[in-house]
Amino acid sequence: MQKILSVEHLEKYYGNKGNVTKAVDDVSFSLDKGEFVAIMGASGSGKTTLLNCISTIDTATAGHIFINGQDITSLNSKKLASFRRDELGFIFQDFSLLDTLTAFENIALALSINNTPAGEIDDKVNGVAHQLMIDDILEKYPYQMSGGQKQRVAAARAIVTNPSLILADEPTGALDSKSARMLLESFESLNKNLSATILMVTHDSFTASYCQRVLFLKDGKVFNEIDRGSDSRKQLFGRIIEVLSLLGGDNANVL
Amino acid sequence: MFYKLALKNARKSMKDYTIFFLTVAFGVCLFYMFNSLDAQTAMMQLNQSKYSMIQQLIQIISGISIFVAVILGFLIIYANRFLIKRRKKEIGLYMTLGMGRGKISRLLSLEMFLIALLALAVGLVAGVFLSQGLSVLTAKMFQTNLTSFRLIFSAGACRKTLLYFGIMFLIVLIFNAASVSRLELIDLLTAGKKNETLKIRKLWISVVGFIAAAVCLVTAYVLIIQNGMMSLDWKFKSSIVLGIVGTFLFFFSLSGFLLRSVQSNKRVYYKGLNMFILRQFNSKINTTFVSVSIICLMLLITICTLSSGIGVASSIAQITNGLTPYDVSLSRYVQDTGSLQNTDMAEKLKSDGVDLNKYASDYVETNYYELSIKLGDLPFTEKDIAEITQSRKALIDQFKSSHLNAITLSSYNHLAKMQGKKELVLKGNQFAIVGTADKMKAPMNRFLQNGLTLSVNGKKFQPAEKQVISMGLVVGDNSMDAVLPDDAGKGCPVKTQVLCMNYKHGVTDSTFIKLLDSIYSKDAKGKTTPAYSSQITKQQIIDESAGISVTSSYVAIYISLVFLIAGAAILALQQLSESSDNAERYSLLRKLGTDEKMLNHALFTQIGLYFLLPLLLAIVHSVVGISVVNHAIFYNGHYDITQSSFLTVLIFAVVYGGYFLATYFGSKGILRQKAENT
Repeated sequence: MQKILSVEHLEKYYGNKGNVTKAVDDVSFSLDKGEFVAIMGASGSGKTTLLNCISTIDTATAGHIFINGQDITSLNSKKLASFRRDELGFIFQDFSLLDTLTAFENIALALSINNTPAGEIDDKVNGVAHQLMIDDILEKYPYQMSGGQKQRVAAARAIVTNPSLILADEPTGALDSKSARMLLESFESLNKNLSATILMVTHDSFTASYCQRVLFLKDGKVFNEIDRGSDSRKQLFGRIIEVLSLLGGDNANVL
Repeated sequence: MFYKLALKNARKSMKDYTIFFLTVAFGVCLFYMFNSLDAQTAMMQLNQSKYSMIQQLIQIISGISIFVAVILGFLIIYANRFLIKRRKKEIGLYMTLGMGRGKISRLLSLEMFLIALLALAVGLVAGVFLSQGLSVLTAKMFQTNLTSFRLIFSAGACRKTLLYFGIMFLIVLIFNAASVSRLELIDLLTAGKKNETLKIRKLWISVVGFIAAAVCLVTAYVLIIQNGMMSLDWKFKSSIVLGIVGTFLFFFSLSGFLLRSVQSNKRVYYKGLNMFILRQFNSKINTTFVSVSIICLMLLITICTLSSGIGVASSIAQITNGLTPYDVSLSRYVQDTGSLQNTDMAEKLKSDGVDLNKYASDYVETNYYELSIKLGDLPFTEKDIAEITQSRKALIDQFKSSHLNAITLSSYNHLAKMQGKKELVLKGNQFAIVGTADKMKAPMNRFLQNGLTLSVNGKKFQPAEKQVISMGLVVGDNSMDAVLPDDAGKGCPVKTQVLCMNYKHGVTDSTFIKLLDSIYSKDAKGKTTPAYSSQITKQQIIDESAGISVTSSYVAIYISLVFLIAGAAILALQQLSESSDNAERYSLLRKLGTDEKMLNHALFTQIGLYFLLPLLLAIVHSVVGISVVNHAIFYNGHYDITQSSFLTVLIFAVVYGGYFLATYFGSKGILRQKAENT
């Protein structure tokens, strides 16, 4: 299987000499093409920092990150922008749609930033919209859509450029449970039908249970990892809860 | 601690204060410059008439200054509102920490005061230096010399500036307190998350609006060209109304129309960030089209006053040359001074103690005979009369009923000799027309070419030349008169007598006119009837025209600069207040992988469009307006537009361009700041 993402001994420190916070402390893992993986952890466990490093928004202190065989820790800022454009797709908790653009234009914008020829844009956007069942809201503005619809538009924007890796930061964080379920089902279908590689950060067990593999972070380190294997989603959910109880809440260590 | 906080805040938010600072500094500088004219002109050699001209100018300027202060005051209040809007979150933080509203408004006021103090200082220093340039210009326009050149500081102007701006800040403080007391904590803390409601207009509204705007504007242009700014008839009024309505409609529908027309070309619309830029522009201008339209009209006034105010100055200088053929003209209206009817003016002067031979290098006395021919009897067409009288009713009647006057050939030849011009030869039955009245020249030439005959005392006269002779007969007058052979006019009543003279070397107004005034002034001893009814000198004409030039161009520059600053500052503040919202959008674009170059380009285009479009429409308006004005004022195309338009462009480039760049870099700073925070 082709390796899409490979993180090797990644470290990210904050602070100065006297007071160092290890947000990410020697983390290694990898993703194959077509995998759907979740990273879980309590707040402050370093999952967002890890995602920021992978998404090239933040730079690592030490270690390497390979995406599609390319070491992104050695790229300069100009190359990073074009790398981000070509290889990565983003989905954010707060949707991050441009409120002045329609759904269609929000999706098309990702393509025009990529210098896709104008003639191909219509077909590509419509194709992705069909996949995510948002055909009927393409002409609406973000303020006319529900949260779930917005997030599916954001997902469409992330996938339309055909990136090697889609990074989702708490995608269900601002959604009600019904919208969350619909979104996750569309993630599943993107993953299965278009074999999109998705890396998702979440602290919600239900959201994580849609994945094939779940990584648990604690204090910047990989604490545990579970593979869905042939389990059903429900069984995986049970196992996640088990690990979480092992991981403990914030107070577990104190007691 | 409180002062430290204010000082640190002021230093930290210097970038936000840039526009505020620029506007106050520009305002103070202008205000000081024009109000210090008094002190500057003290350094100049000025005669009485120039002095009174300058006093008049100073009065006009100080009147305008009140108006200017009101505009600047509003501008400062507007700028202050922007600053509060920009710092909502920070104010919210102070509130959650328990700082009272009173203290917050005092904190903000103190910050503003610090910045304003700095701006005041910078503005005053700049004003002191620039006013030196102004005084050199004033001296040049008055054709006088500076007695001594040194740096002049006008304490009076400085005090006045401090007083006016002090009052302005006091008013701003009150507004400040009012706007802080209206703030709600919950709104402050969630300010960043609030979405502006988008105003999207339907396609057909934009298209219909745009077509209506085009129709309005074209109609307005056609009407004003037909009207020619000659009279305030319905055409003029409806042209102004249509122009204003058209401008509003234009900005109301422009962005929607622009968006739709670019959208129809997918290749352009989907290129780079074009889609984003257009949408940004669209959403912004839809909410601000009213103020953008007003700014466009203000820019129009700026362009027109600047270029024609300066243009008037240069054309007056040219007109003056034609009006000053001799040094002095003394006129006597025979009907006013009946008892002197047949006395020689020179004789009378001599008997009153003024021997002209002592003062004049040459002089000639001319009798103006009133012919029985009225101007209304000559074959003027309705159009000619409309041109000459500018269609004013009272003037039309006066024009038609006034008589044609004539002078004798020998008087004419003497006058021509004094000006160094060619003498005229007339046969016994010939006449000539002489004068400098521009608007009568064309019809008169036509009459002469068609062989006009004048009948005087029953005798018919034919034109000797096919052209009007362009020569001034009296100082400060540009009428049209006939020249007849010496004995032809005998028997006609003498209407006026004019004595024209040139000074001997060393004689000036201050010697000769003073002497006359002292003899004929009301409280002089042994009061006698004056030898003349009115006197006018070359120097008076030159001074007066210099006065009009200086006044018109200074008033034009003053008002238009204030309008320009106001318009540019409002545009800048609107863009900057938008930048916080834009910051989110731009940081999102950055996350999506847009590179810096593309982002900067988008920002530049967005702000550029916002600044450029009102300016472009204003330029189109003013091209039409100025060409009509030129035709109206400068009938014979005396007027060279290049110089004044060059100056206008220069002023625009500095002020408008300066505000544009300040806005661009300010917005870029805000965006970058946001990017570093996330």
